[in-house]
Amino acid sequence: MSPDVRRLLQRHAQLRHGPPVRASSDRDVSGVELSPGLRYIEILADWLAPPPLIETAFARWPEPVATRRLLHFDTETTGLAGGTGTRAFMIGAADWLADGRLRLRQLTTTSMAAESAMLRTFAQWIEPDTVLVSYNGKCYDAPLLRTRYRLARLADPLAGLGHLDLLHPVRRHWKGCWENCRLATAERQLLGVVREDDLPGSEAPAAWLSYLRGGSAKDLRRVAEHNAQDLKSLAGVLLYMSALGDIPGASGPRR
Amino acid sequence: MNALPDRYQASDEVILRGPGDGRTLAQRLSKRYASRITGAFVVPGREGSFAPLPEDLPPALANALRERGIGQLYSHQHEAWVATQAGAHVAVVTPTASGKSLCYTLPVIAAAMQHNAKALYLFPTKALAQDQVAELLELNQAGNLGVKAFTFDGDTPGDARQAIRLHGDVVVSNPDMLHQAILPHHTKWAQFFENLRYVVIDEIHTYRGVFGSHVANVIRRLQRVCAFYGVTPQFILCSATIGNPQEHAEALIESPVIAITRSGAPTGDKHVLLWNPPVINPDLGLRASARSQTNRIARLAIKSGMKTLVFAQSRSMVEVLTKYLKDVFDHDPRKPPRIRAYRGGYLPKERRAAEREMRAGNVDGIVSTSALELGVDIGSLDVVVLNGYPGSVAATWQRFGRAGRRQQSALGVLVASSDPLDQYLVRHPEFFQGASPEHARIAPDQPLILLDHIRCAAFELPFRGDEVFGNEAATPWLEILGEEGVLHREGDRWEWIADSYPANAVSLRSVADGNFVVVDRTGGKQTIIAEVDFSAAAVTLYEGAIHMIQSVPFQVERLDWEGRKAYVTRTHVDYYTDAIDYTRLKVLDCFDSSSAGRGHAHHGEVHVVRRVAGYKKIRYYSHENIGYGPVNLPDQELHTTAVWWQLTQRVLDAEFDDRQQALDGFLGAACAIHIVATVAVMAESRDLQKSVGSGDGAWFVSADISGRGQLRGADGQPTSLAADAPFTPTVYLYDAFPGGVGLSAPLFERREDLIARSQSLIERCDCRGGCPACVGPVLAADEDAHASPKAAALRVLALLAAL
Repeated sequence: MSPDVRRLLQRHAQLRHGPPVRASSDRDVSGVELSPGLRYIEILADWLAPPPLIETAFARWPEPVATRRLLHFDTETTGLAGGTGTRAFMIGAADWLADGRLRLRQLTTTSMAAESAMLRTFAQWIEPDTVLVSYNGKCYDAPLLRTRYRLARLADPLAGLGHLDLLHPVRRHWKGCWENCRLATAERQLLGVVREDDLPGSEAPAAWLSYLRGGSAKDLRRVAEHNAQDLKSLAGVLLYMSALGDIPGASGPRR
Repeated sequence: MNALPDRYQASDEVILRGPGDGRTLAQRLSKRYASRITGAFVVPGREGSFAPLPEDLPPALANALRERGIGQLYSHQHEAWVATQAGAHVAVVTPTASGKSLCYTLPVIAAAMQHNAKALYLFPTKALAQDQVAELLELNQAGNLGVKAFTFDGDTPGDARQAIRLHGDVVVSNPDMLHQAILPHHTKWAQFFENLRYVVIDEIHTYRGVFGSHVANVIRRLQRVCAFYGVTPQFILCSATIGNPQEHAEALIESPVIAITRSGAPTGDKHVLLWNPPVINPDLGLRASARSQTNRIARLAIKSGMKTLVFAQSRSMVEVLTKYLKDVFDHDPRKPPRIRAYRGGYLPKERRAAEREMRAGNVDGIVSTSALELGVDIGSLDVVVLNGYPGSVAATWQRFGRAGRRQQSALGVLVASSDPLDQYLVRHPEFFQGASPEHARIAPDQPLILLDHIRCAAFELPFRGDEVFGNEAATPWLEILGEEGVLHREGDRWEWIADSYPANAVSLRSVADGNFVVVDRTGGKQTIIAEVDFSAAAVTLYEGAIHMIQSVPFQVERLDWEGRKAYVTRTHVDYYTDAIDYTRLKVLDCFDSSSAGRGHAHHGEVHVVRRVAGYKKIRYYSHENIGYGPVNLPDQELHTTAVWWQLTQRVLDAEFDDRQQALDGFLGAACAIHIVATVAVMAESRDLQKSVGSGDGAWFVSADISGRGQLRGADGQPTSLAADAPFTPTVYLYDAFPGGVGLSAPLFERREDLIARSQSLIERCDCRGGCPACVGPVLAADEDAHASPKAAALRVLALLAAL
């Protein structure tokens, strides 16, 4: 490329003049390293007490679901633009152990190349009879992961699984009653959860990108905390909803 | 509507005696208007050449064809079948209405039936895509073939998209959708891509210049995504007549193709007339307007019972001509309209309705922009009138190709406007008759276009190692995108990292994005009545502009530039408006220089500022100028490449009586060089622009109302130079696209030839002191042989000519 062409391109490139990322000595991402660039956090939480069977009438499912089959999941991504250019840099999942404790497992990638290992590890957490639980996961997290598995040339482990997406039942029930139906609102209204020093989800992409470019890991740790609370709230909201029974106005069976 | 009496009744009857066909009308016009016709020739018709249905066609498909009345194929359809079955990429280049679509329909349907193979069709417009699906469905229904075809475009509802991705055997879309919706979501189309066997790209002659360069890169991205899914689809490309179909097809897909160029479809004779409006003022070279002549020819054709299509160069001219014809043929509002306008900017529903009316034969006269040049099915026509030269020989034949039925002779008339290029062509009929159609050219490696598409490609799939995109190693581009912060490099992989969707910021069709909507506020309501391209907005939607839609005038009251909206109200004025715009240039960087006679020629990078300064109000029919209005719009800026010629102050002082004379000479020389250069590199005239200004950008020159050079300062206001100020007038020809699409380099190489041809153009012109066909319009008072603009231009060119 000639210098003339480079100058022309640089003039037209949409160079961002934001503050440069400062190299940081705080590079400590939580968790243990499973493989190069892949961190794993496991937390066992005493959080509510689930019954052995979860009623699913609120979602118009015909039968209850055994609690041990539930896998609550939530991803943290590089943005909302959609398409093949958006990736998950963190996948969190929660399931109930036999002793009634909630097990939170989180995978964080600290390099791009670790994505494939993260996707494989997450796939191992899924059984053929797993029922997914998410908040807007049908429209957002699941398609995004499907795209990532496809790009990594891996089989999509979510294909064909039952999926309880709580956003829609919450909307049907409380739309118009609350200022909005986001998970943070639902957890406050239904579970009385109030977050302190929570990193807003919208700042997650910048936190990861900044770390990737050599910046501080502080905000990335806060993303993990945010994600962990999302998982706990997801489990809590599901228990609340299942106790409600059938919701009037709910439309047809969804599986 | 004005109910004018038909004031032409008497004079028309002299010419019209009984109904006619193309031949008789050509004869009658030639007899009555002999002095206006500068060239007349006949393209003889052709017998059809046929082949039986191929043996290896699936029987159900063969039956479906017979069901539809197709018992044999044209020879070119048969050739296409044989070539596709042999696995080759194919380019089919045959005239309008020669049954091109069967060339790809047969292999695509056969593969879908036998191998569950999928096909992607790309058409340049949504209208063509819809035509095509309708045709496929009819064939499918006739044979109960079970092949599912869908359009996928901006109008496809969200809930239908998933079904189309999974179940469509044939997906009919356009390059813009492929670029913005399909490729950036290719994983959703995984099943489709894994089984993709054919990619059909029709109307490839439209993919040239900037648009074509973008499309070639979209095809590179398509092939990159196909490689990810392990498929290498076969391409079937179709084109109207161009000079280099095979080369162009190969440039688009970057693989060898088999070109099929002999049509087996029968046609009638086609008569062609080149028509120059009569001279009104021979000294000035002033002629009657093309629109008055076009109007007359169309009127005569319609009165003699022939279906007539008029092509106009601009949307506003479509409206003016529609009004003129409606004034004659549609003055009774109780009857359905006989005349219709058709152009971009109407809402899709309105266009579909117009197409249906035309196909049904309910319309006698259609006035259109190039929108109808493409294969939109509007049935058979008898006469095509071109109001002005469309800018290329190929486009002229494509438009003439609209006329013609199998047995009957058709007529095409090219009416020259006062545009110099028109005058050049109409006075050299041998050029037109003998010229092979232009070559379609693309510059897919244009750096800015490449940057756009490497950006989009990186979003679709990461770049690895020393991957090559097109012909270029991608790494330097990736580094720039890395600096920009949208890509992250890790080892030898470059991955997309930004939270943005780059394809949305890249428009294939225009430089700056964002269409303007036209909002009608008449009577307090707010209705969107039209859309206008960004590039056309500054010259058609300024405040005060009369914007016509189906020849109903609306006045622009307010233009919201940032919000891309123009607010209009219905008006009843008797004039239309025409923008006055001018250009100023500054040299940024000189790549190459050489001596040119006693001056110099250069090639390099320039900064261009275009401004719309005001507008003229022009009264209907008399076309007199009845006033001016100011326009206050942001300047449009452009970095691009240019070639330019200069003479030193010392030479100018010695050779010219005064500076004004030298300026006139440069202005005239610029005019001639631009005409010659446009023909030489076969550019679209809007892609190559000219300007005259100071070498240091301090001032520039525009022609004033008398055709003389008027100096203007950087602010656009008229100015004059101090006697001791430096004086280096310069002729610039610049590429009207950021960074250039490769027009200026070949012009620099041919710089000596261009000057020589410009000299001969002016010397051979019949005018005395200068005219629009050589140095631009001049005043009667300027005929003095020594100081005329023509003489001054020749003197400048002589000084620039090789010694």
